[in-house]
Amino acid sequence: MVKEIERAGIPVVHMCTVVPISMTVGANRIVPTVAIPYPLGNPASTPDEEKELRRKLLDKTLDALSTEVEDQTVFE
Amino acid sequence: MKLEVGYIPIRDIQFGPTSKVDGNVLYVNQDELSRLLLQDEAIESVALDIARPGESVRITPVKDVIEPRVKVHGGGGIFPGWCAKVDTVGSGRTNVLKGAAVVTAGKIVGFQEGIIDMSGEGARYTPFSTLNNLVLVVEPKQGLAQHAYEKTLRLAGLKAAEYLGKLAADIEAEEVHTYETLSLLEGVRAYPDLPRVGYVLMLQSQGLLHDTYVYGVDAKQIIPTLISPTELMDGAIISGNCVSACDKNTTYHHLNNPVVQDLFAEHGKTLNFVGVIITNENVFLADKMRSSDRTAELCGYLSLDGAIISQEGFGNPDTDLIMNCRKIEAKGIKTVIITDEYAGQDGASQSLADADEAADAVVTGGNANEVIHLPAMERIIGSIDAVDHIAGGWSGSLNEDGTITAELQVITGATNELGFNTLSAR
Repeated sequence: MVKEIERAGIPVVHMCTVVPISMTVGANRIVPTVAIPYPLGNPASTPDEEKELRRKLLDKTLDALSTEVEDQTVFE
Repeated sequence: MKLEVGYIPIRDIQFGPTSKVDGNVLYVNQDELSRLLLQDEAIESVALDIARPGESVRITPVKDVIEPRVKVHGGGGIFPGWCAKVDTVGSGRTNVLKGAAVVTAGKIVGFQEGIIDMSGEGARYTPFSTLNNLVLVVEPKQGLAQHAYEKTLRLAGLKAAEYLGKLAADIEAEEVHTYETLSLLEGVRAYPDLPRVGYVLMLQSQGLLHDTYVYGVDAKQIIPTLISPTELMDGAIISGNCVSACDKNTTYHHLNNPVVQDLFAEHGKTLNFVGVIITNENVFLADKMRSSDRTAELCGYLSLDGAIISQEGFGNPDTDLIMNCRKIEAKGIKTVIITDEYAGQDGASQSLADADEAADAVVTGGNANEVIHLPAMERIIGSIDAVDHIAGGWSGSLNEDGTITAELQVITGATNELGFNTLSAR
């Protein structure tokens, strides 16, 4: 899906936990997430902490989306 | 570490007034075993049943398969950390009721348990159709959480296997196999010219009922480490898995790991079987990186010439597999990986979620998406209603006449990634 959307000319950020698979698949902008069963949350956190976590991830992702890249890039 | 394993062949199981082994028949006192299992207060009821090879019987939903064994001497007890204290096992003498198994059944997750058919098309795909199976159908107390039910059923299976195994303690074995792993230095001296081969055994450890245990420790909490192959034969590793049935390693698989058996068969002849490295398949990327790093470091430390890597399960563990392969190969150590495939029902899709050029020697257990047709069986042990939801099944998989159309992955052990299955291209 990442590749097909980009083929249509729309930049994509792949938010995912298993970065190596994202690299193999060929995503160009990658934002690592928390864990496979809960990429955008953390059941060990409080709801407030989770909200903060999500906001930071989303901010990072929006920055990645608006960043020019030359090669496959992981936004740590 | 040296272990003798004595085989006592079992050709039938019968219920009887006294639990005992007489000739090649295993007799089980139902009441005694049920009372033992019902000591777990989480259990509402236990139904014991027997499934023999060739019978028109379908067992489902299958959780685990366990071989009855007993430690005759040599320290520790079978299933350390569960049925015995955590003392090191793998030395001395162990007796096995060969040809018998305990099968645990219960609807824990519903879609992540499996099917064992004792005859017909389905029986061809599971090695457990050739065994005399004592099946435990365990119903939990109302309101018991899934994870607690999993633990209860897991322990019930181990306890039953231990109970049956003890019947073999004083019986003369028909066959005795001896396995020995030398210390690092002794091995170098004994086989200076043979290639040094290690076995990397990947353990399912994704959590959420996808777990494996080592001496009672949850494998997702381990750092990759060395273990003697004979420790596996005494139950140092047990399955706590509710995951796709076709490629999970049951406790029976760990006890009878065919990679270990084959490496021992060649040990001292064509290769020096140095040992087993156990590692995990966790859901955090940092864990995957750390575990594959440590695994490769251990391979290098052992000065291996070659490593065999077996996977458990599929999906994101494909990445653990490829990371292990790539990092071990980068140390100049040749690898062979054993996996299975999810290549779509037509077999045309990509088989693994990850890939690398280093993975140039691959053994497959088969395509888990292949569609199979199972005939109706005269008797169901357990309950059939989970079939429509089982991984590899779909709404309508279970037909009104009792036949089943589903993917191969519904069958316990069908595409096992240790090679403990019957599928072959030959």
